[in-house]
Amino acid sequence: MSEAEDIVNNDDIIQWVTFMLEGEIYGIEVIQVQEVLRVSEIAPVPGSPDYVLGIINLRGNVVTVLDTRRRFGLPDHEITDATRIIIIESADNIVGILVDSVAEVVELTKSAIESSPNVGNDESSKYIAGVATLNEKLHILVDINKLLSEEEWSEVATI
Amino acid sequence: MSATLDTSDEILQDFLVEAGEILELLGEQLVDLEKEPEDMDLLNAVFRGFHTVKGGAGFLALDAMVSICHIAEDVFNILRNGEMILTPDMMDQFLKVLDVLHEQFDEINEGQMPAEADSALLAALTAIKNGETENLASETAAEVTPPDDQVDEELEQMIAEIEEPAEASGDITDVEFESLLDNLHGKGKGPTAKTGKTDSEEITDGEFDNLLDQLHGKGKGPTATPAKADESKSSEDITDEEFEALLDQIHGEGKGPVISKTTSSPVEQNGVAEKKPVKKKKASKKTESKPAEKTEKAEKPAAKKPVATKSPAKPVDTTVRVDTKRLDDIMNMVGELVLVRNRLDNLEASLGNEDITKAVSNLDVVTSDLQTAVMKTRMQPIKKVFGRFPRVVRDLARSLDKEIELVMVGEDTDLDKNLVEELADPLIHLVRNSVDHGIEMPDDREKAGKPRTGKITLVASQEGDHIQLIIEDDGGGMDPDVLRNIAVEKGVMDEESAARLEDRECYALIFAPGFSTKKEISDVSGRGVGMDVVKTRISKLNGSVDIDSNKGIGTVITIKLPLTLAIMPTLMVRVGERMFAFPLTSVSEIFQLEEGTTNVVDGQLVIMVRNKAMPLLYLHEWLVTNPNVEVNTAEQQVVVAHVGNHRVGFVVNAVVGQEEVVIKPLGAVLRGLPGFAGATITGDGCIALILDVPSLMKARGKG
Repeated sequence: MSEAEDIVNNDDIIQWVTFMLEGEIYGIEVIQVQEVLRVSEIAPVPGSPDYVLGIINLRGNVVTVLDTRRRFGLPDHEITDATRIIIIESADNIVGILVDSVAEVVELTKSAIESSPNVGNDESSKYIAGVATLNEKLHILVDINKLLSEEEWSEVATI
Repeated sequence: MSATLDTSDEILQDFLVEAGEILELLGEQLVDLEKEPEDMDLLNAVFRGFHTVKGGAGFLALDAMVSICHIAEDVFNILRNGEMILTPDMMDQFLKVLDVLHEQFDEINEGQMPAEADSALLAALTAIKNGETENLASETAAEVTPPDDQVDEELEQMIAEIEEPAEASGDITDVEFESLLDNLHGKGKGPTAKTGKTDSEEITDGEFDNLLDQLHGKGKGPTATPAKADESKSSEDITDEEFEALLDQIHGEGKGPVISKTTSSPVEQNGVAEKKPVKKKKASKKTESKPAEKTEKAEKPAAKKPVATKSPAKPVDTTVRVDTKRLDDIMNMVGELVLVRNRLDNLEASLGNEDITKAVSNLDVVTSDLQTAVMKTRMQPIKKVFGRFPRVVRDLARSLDKEIELVMVGEDTDLDKNLVEELADPLIHLVRNSVDHGIEMPDDREKAGKPRTGKITLVASQEGDHIQLIIEDDGGGMDPDVLRNIAVEKGVMDEESAARLEDRECYALIFAPGFSTKKEISDVSGRGVGMDVVKTRISKLNGSVDIDSNKGIGTVITIKLPLTLAIMPTLMVRVGERMFAFPLTSVSEIFQLEEGTTNVVDGQLVIMVRNKAMPLLYLHEWLVTNPNVEVNTAEQQVVVAHVGNHRVGFVVNAVVGQEEVVIKPLGAVLRGLPGFAGATITGDGCIALILDVPSLMKARGKG
């Protein structure tokens, strides 16, 4: 996880950006979110892995957009008005992830985060940092670094 | 001294930059010197080179480097005094010295303390040195130095002499003495003083006095002051007062910690002016401080020397050393600007407003100029690469017993720094090939009625928006039939297709992987990997290699490269609804696809172009993944691209036109995806993928 998290003690507050995927609430650390975009033209890249939607033009930079649903093993869904691309920065790489909608920023104390209860299928549990309950709703917290881990990249590179 | 070095240390970095330049220069100078062993200027230059490296290394306590430079310097001192004549065997030793220095240099670069040079080499050098002049140390400067020598050399001579007694005295080593000098003078040098040891704890005042005594004992008699007063007159920068302070410092009374900046700076400037006219100047602290150091060192011996030869004018320093990272950033931003201009161009066409048209065309000009100007800042003369060749050719020729003359033309041709670096290996390979395969043995040449000495010509020139490099030899050339046979033997192709190859295509066979005409593998070449790699490397740089040969007359290899890597001319095409960009270097022609002109051969669609069958590939089959998109098959054009030695026609829906694009790398997730060199943003803000034809063929096609 990020360095920031290593230093904080258990009662420090971490902010999470929450987004929806197939009716579930997910969260990613706010510090890793660069911006949230409406869906613009995504240029598909022939030959890329299926969870890569394509590339977009982000103010002159080419940013790869991942289909989070496919990454998490969820069924495909049409792009709607609420669909957003969250631009995240992780280990000097900038990628976008396509999500059903972006909700809000929530604050969670570190102690409120429980380790993953092995919910979800194998595909998604790999990327889950933990879960937390807030307002009686379960928030699934995503570990972005794992989502974009080097192994995945090298796997992509060898395809 | 620790075993590892802090490579982030600024002084070390400066030293590395400077020493790197000097070593490179030395390589050239040494080879030149072999041709003209009595060229005084060259001898002096080489001597100075070794000395400067030694000085810097001594300052940083890189003992191993100091010791080898020291001995090389000694030998060159003898040489330039005309007491010995340079022989090729000696030159072999010197080149070895240079190799060792390069190794040590690399070690330092990696943060390692350089390893001591091979003692056999040192012994060989010592033998050279002692062979003729055992009593060097006892000779005085006056006898040794020809009157026309420049002052600094005399001074260096003095310093070299001073060092000898220091060694002899037993209690103070050469290195200590160096560091003593540096300590002593380091104080005066504001910027560098921080890393110089703040005080010379290792050497007591007594020892220091001792040293001074030796110094002045050696230097003959007269006190420093009168002669120095002379000097102060000649350099109007230094007032008497300041000069007094300086004198104090030199003589140790002023060992008091600080000498004011105002005192030291004129000296520094002065030092730069008088010491470094021969050296390319860059605005680095090191280059400024080093000469200063030397000057200050020089002050002592200067007591006995006339100062008349000082050059009065200080060349104005107009260069700045800039991190290439920063240049890359600027280049990127200019790239953005080019994209915006492209977009404006598009908008302007649709608006049709005259004022806007004017403004846009102005912007057009300015952007192009800016682009060129920024590109120029990244340019380096190809000399950087060419400079290594005399050495390469010489060594190889010697080891192969061939006689070869290397001619280089257009060394000042500028090209992108990245290109210069990337080009080095392929070019060296090609030159080695020319020496090894191209040029025949002297006896064979004589039999063939050619001069014994073979000739290799390297030509660099700028041809429009690309750079052309030609490597030409007057050797045996290649026999297309032999190449055909080898191709069949190695299973590269069957007999029939080999027989059908044109001669030119045969020559291109040597770029095929695993292809070697050499029967035996030497350590020089013959493994059949090289040319393949050369070709790949050059293609990676968006360049092309072409080879032509005439049996018995010679071989010409032509390399074409773009001026820069950041901006690439492309041919924009439309496939389905998407835009793709072909690198223009790989496109050879475009034509309209007419129905009924295609045939199917062995399951492969082909089209006859000038009576030759060319495979035809529909790009949309590969690139349009969405099966719902209806591809308009009525209007189609063929883009002919060359892949290696093959020509392939790609069918596209429309050719949009030529556009200069900025290559944007695909993100980490897509890095290494075959078929694409990157992406770019088109004039209308859309994304176009840049096709990488060879890898596209490899990944999707039958190649």
